[in-house]
Amino acid sequence: MKTIGSPDTPTQPRPEMPAAGPDRAHAAAGAPKRTVQRREARIGFYFALPAFLLFIAFRFGPAIAGVALSFFDYDISGTLDWQGVSNFQHMVGDPVFWQAMRVTLLYSILEVPLTLTASVLMALAVRRGFRGSRFFRSLFFLPVITSLVLAGSIFKWIFSSDGPWSTLMTPFGLGGSWLNSPILVIPVIVIIGVWSRFGYGMLIVIAALQDVPRELEEAALMDGAGAWPRFRYIVLPHLKPVLYFLIVIETAGSFQVFDLVYVLTQGGPARGSYSLVYMLYDQGFRYSNFGYGAAIGVMLFLMTLAAALIQRRAMGRDK
Amino acid sequence: MIQTSSSIRPRRRAFGALEPSPIGVVLRWIGLSILALGCFFPFYAMVMLSLKPNLALHFPASLMPWNLSPESYKQVLVGQDVLVWLGNSLIYSVTSVVGVLLIASMAGYAFAKKRFRGKEVMFWSFLSMVMVPFHVTLIPTFIVLAKLGGVDTYWGLILPSLANAQAVFLMRQFIQGLPDELFEAASIDGAGPLRIFFTIVLPLCKPVLATLGIFVFLWHWNDFLWPLIMAKSSEMWTLTVGIASLQQQTVTLSVMLAGSVVALVPIFFAYLIAQRYVQEGVATTGIKG
Repeated sequence: MKTIGSPDTPTQPRPEMPAAGPDRAHAAAGAPKRTVQRREARIGFYFALPAFLLFIAFRFGPAIAGVALSFFDYDISGTLDWQGVSNFQHMVGDPVFWQAMRVTLLYSILEVPLTLTASVLMALAVRRGFRGSRFFRSLFFLPVITSLVLAGSIFKWIFSSDGPWSTLMTPFGLGGSWLNSPILVIPVIVIIGVWSRFGYGMLIVIAALQDVPRELEEAALMDGAGAWPRFRYIVLPHLKPVLYFLIVIETAGSFQVFDLVYVLTQGGPARGSYSLVYMLYDQGFRYSNFGYGAAIGVMLFLMTLAAALIQRRAMGRDK
Repeated sequence: MIQTSSSIRPRRRAFGALEPSPIGVVLRWIGLSILALGCFFPFYAMVMLSLKPNLALHFPASLMPWNLSPESYKQVLVGQDVLVWLGNSLIYSVTSVVGVLLIASMAGYAFAKKRFRGKEVMFWSFLSMVMVPFHVTLIPTFIVLAKLGGVDTYWGLILPSLANAQAVFLMRQFIQGLPDELFEAASIDGAGPLRIFFTIVLPLCKPVLATLGIFVFLWHWNDFLWPLIMAKSSEMWTLTVGIASLQQQTVTLSVMLAGSVVALVPIFFAYLIAQRYVQEGVATTGIKG
């Protein structure tokens, strides 16, 4: 749900703290060293236990069960039927699945680069302290904290045939409701997706921009480097780690597009916005095909993993 | 890392070569204002249309700030269970904030400062789940809770959301930066582990607890799929589920938007008060917005 890693999250365990070192044993008012160690260990264990149990019960266990379930048929009355890989076979032969895959990938391919570009551009625009830069930052971040479910109804109006978007697009021959077109519905969801996500990337990029050595940029300016070379050769290399972080989490997030689809179109028209998570919801909770739903979940996980690995390769080679 | 948060603030230096010239500033202001208007437009339109119950809603006449009437708000507050949903959203969000902060800071303290058997295994099991999307666990979690009778109850809604790995990482990271001497001194003075935790660790964690608390609140207030599945009857719905259900009913756009505005006001208010924590939290920890 919200367990995407943070950039500072270490991916390796830190070296152990010398928690029960000689100093501390000595400090504990003469108690025998081993007793103190044991006591410390017990305290540590019990402090970590609630989080660990919750985690086993609601993340780790269900994740394993989710993978297992994808090999079964299950209905809520409780009968489990071993299916082998038939859920996956069914999936591969299911045109609805491929439609969901197409919708999700198309959304992702459009939304992620646009969000990143907007994030970087806006960060550059508001980065130096000028009067009002804080105000703009706050305002651009507002959509990030806004639930798309709650904002959904206004977007439904904006992109309806009565709304401003239609009026705006009529000169280009694209008037009318984009939400009623199986093709134009994806751009609508992309536009709203970018609107709701770019503020997050903007703040991350602004923070990274603080680390760009100012002297370097100034020196380049003195040497007559224009804005683009300065950005390309001085600023961009510094942004690489955060851009990688943003690409990974925005891609993972874009694979999970659901809220907006649910409130705007219910997957329509003609399954034009039927995303994978929408399919998971549809199959699992409308038709109670839990096994099939779980198989879609596993697919989603594999996609997320594959995307992260590919992105790591690509970013690594570029270095 | 939270302590270094002041670095996000723009450095005010003398007028350097990289600072935009006054004309540049004006141009930038104009450009940014146009973008800001575009960005803010949906909110403006939402408020305006929610105040126009009777108009045929054609653009742009419908967006003018006159002929306003609170009729839609009356309708949505009286005719729908919005206040019940608001209460449910509050219960869901506030309970989760308290629970997550307590459980995550306890675990973070243990992982950062204690040494015990199984620590590595526990910590790695947390880490291993970071890339697993929530949706993989959705169906099994639902089935288990359905078996236990947790569907349509508060505990069924809240309990799974307390397992928050990101919160544990964040707390561990922060507590690692606190000096050991503080806890040792208290220990010498005879303070028990619970006392040390509540009177020394937690107060020192205030900044990170504030940041994390706001985000946990936001996540739960905006959460949709989980409450949609778990809350079956309309008196258990949260605001997101309730407002989404209005779209399937035959209420007017104006009434629906009035409901959305009512649901958005608390979150905007919270943001207004805590925006510095929110923005610095994102900038310094990358916590998911």
